[in-house]
Amino acid sequence: MIPMEFFLVLAAILFCIGAYGVLTKSNAIVVLMCIELMLNAANINFVTFAAYNYDITGQAFVIMSISVAAAEVAVGIAILLNAYKIRKTTELNDAELTTMRW
Amino acid sequence: MISDIVVNIFDDLTPLATMIILAIGALSFPAVQMFIKKHTVTWAYATILVVLAFAVNLVLLIDGIECEYLGVCLSPYSTFMALLFLTVLFLVVLVSNSSTETTKNHSGAYYSLLFGATIGMVFVTTSTDLLTIFVGVELTSISSYALVALKRKDGRASEAAVKYAIIGGMSTALTLYGISMVYGVAGSTELAEIAQYVTTMTDTPWILAIGVLCMLAGYGFKIAAVPFHMWAPDVYEGAATPVSIFLATASKKMGLGVFIQVFLVMFIGTTVTGTIFGETFQYIFAIIAAVTMTVGNVVAIAQTNIKRMLAYSSIAQAGYILIMMAVMTPNAEAAGLFHMFTHVFMKGGAFLIVGALICAGVGEKISDYKGLAKRAPVLAFAMMLFLFSLAGIPPLAGFTSKFFLFASAVGVPGEASGAWVWLAFVAILNSAISLYYYARVVKAMYIEKGECTDKIKIPATFMVAIAICVVFVIVLGVYPDLVYGFAETAVGLI
Repeated sequence: MIPMEFFLVLAAILFCIGAYGVLTKSNAIVVLMCIELMLNAANINFVTFAAYNYDITGQAFVIMSISVAAAEVAVGIAILLNAYKIRKTTELNDAELTTMRW
Repeated sequence: MISDIVVNIFDDLTPLATMIILAIGALSFPAVQMFIKKHTVTWAYATILVVLAFAVNLVLLIDGIECEYLGVCLSPYSTFMALLFLTVLFLVVLVSNSSTETTKNHSGAYYSLLFGATIGMVFVTTSTDLLTIFVGVELTSISSYALVALKRKDGRASEAAVKYAIIGGMSTALTLYGISMVYGVAGSTELAEIAQYVTTMTDTPWILAIGVLCMLAGYGFKIAAVPFHMWAPDVYEGAATPVSIFLATASKKMGLGVFIQVFLVMFIGTTVTGTIFGETFQYIFAIIAAVTMTVGNVVAIAQTNIKRMLAYSSIAQAGYILIMMAVMTPNAEAAGLFHMFTHVFMKGGAFLIVGALICAGVGEKISDYKGLAKRAPVLAFAMMLFLFSLAGIPPLAGFTSKFFLFASAVGVPGEASGAWVWLAFVAILNSAISLYYYARVVKAMYIEKGECTDKIKIPATFMVAIAICVVFVIVLGVYPDLVYGFAETAVGLI
């Protein structure tokens, strides 16, 4: 059997890639995709723990979190689309937008 | 026979009553708006539903009903919080009809989102499981992103919404990752079982510590605690003022509610048995509280836009409330809940006046408030009351609740006594700093002369909402037991 650590390390690497992308990328669509990566890292964690602990809660949690992530991205894209209509760009750090980055 | 079954079903549904009433509204507003094209009808319908939900909760609170159904746990604590959220919702819905900022052609969607967000909040405070808490928080957050974005033609609002959605998404991912770690170690997502595990563990697994830290960061974004506060000023400034009220008072209280439920339940056992784990987190909370209030107050001094100033002041207020997480005695928790309640009226009232003045054509800059006392004496006086209450000047509500909060930090019983005096000291210093920028607005209103001297007329619904806030700010200051008693019961039974 594959040791549990393998999956956890995979999830950790995925999470770090996502976090790195969110913090450094300037295109809003790419940032949303990176957030998806982070969410999926958590999902891998849940499934792993559920499988190795013989507990079903983790899988239920994953189903919930997938639907939440879908809703989140839907609203996020709608908001981006609206912002794109006004600003004609999806870049987050435009010269005129000093407030956009954190 | 059948009537028995019906009665049983209704008994079972008691914990869900608030959410059902709100859900009826949230699902039917778009239809109502579509068939009856009058904005006023939707508004009246929404107001009635909120009042109904409020009445139900008031009965539940006074009777002190506790029951559980399908994992939804009704307790005095959840009813107290639900009343808080419904108060905010009532104030917001009341003024939405006359606020020029609330997009009238989208009113069906607007009310749906408001109600949806409130369902999420009520759901969070009634949950006993990390899964339901997560879903409730997300329901609120996703609705709030859309609410901010509803001011569609406004560049500032859409920009704020993008920022809010992205930072919110990141905080969701952090929280979820944290929850997965905690679940992996404790083997359950139920709060009681996690608490059981934390109490009996012999040493602290580092994976659990990382998980809890991730959750702390994720929910820290929701309450805009420093260093996760950067979104708040932009969002409160960009959103329509009724939405800003909703976010600054209700949404933030939900985050604090999650803090109370999750961290208190997890740690109360550990502080009793004296493991390092609980105490470390108490110190982390104390540092976050101190830094949050200091940064909020100091940055607020430099603001020229009044909505931005109020946003930073609300970051600072979250810092005061976080004192309860550091001190972790029942007294501190009750005082924290009480401060959340008074904060609704002070901050809500101040934002309401800003919103009313925007409707009347006054700008958002503090310099636009010059000579306001001549133009609208009643409004200026109410604004002064709210600002002085936020600063903590007796005999207003803000003073009483802050006094309870700081006193609870000083008067910790037992061996930890005196451990948090420094925190109370920092908080009192901060109150002094905050008085400076509140007084600046009062000075602009009363002493400085403005160019424009026209009288200001504001819509009647705004007047009613502001009057409610004024009454509560004064009454709770003089007679705190009206709410504080309930807060104490609520805390005793979390």
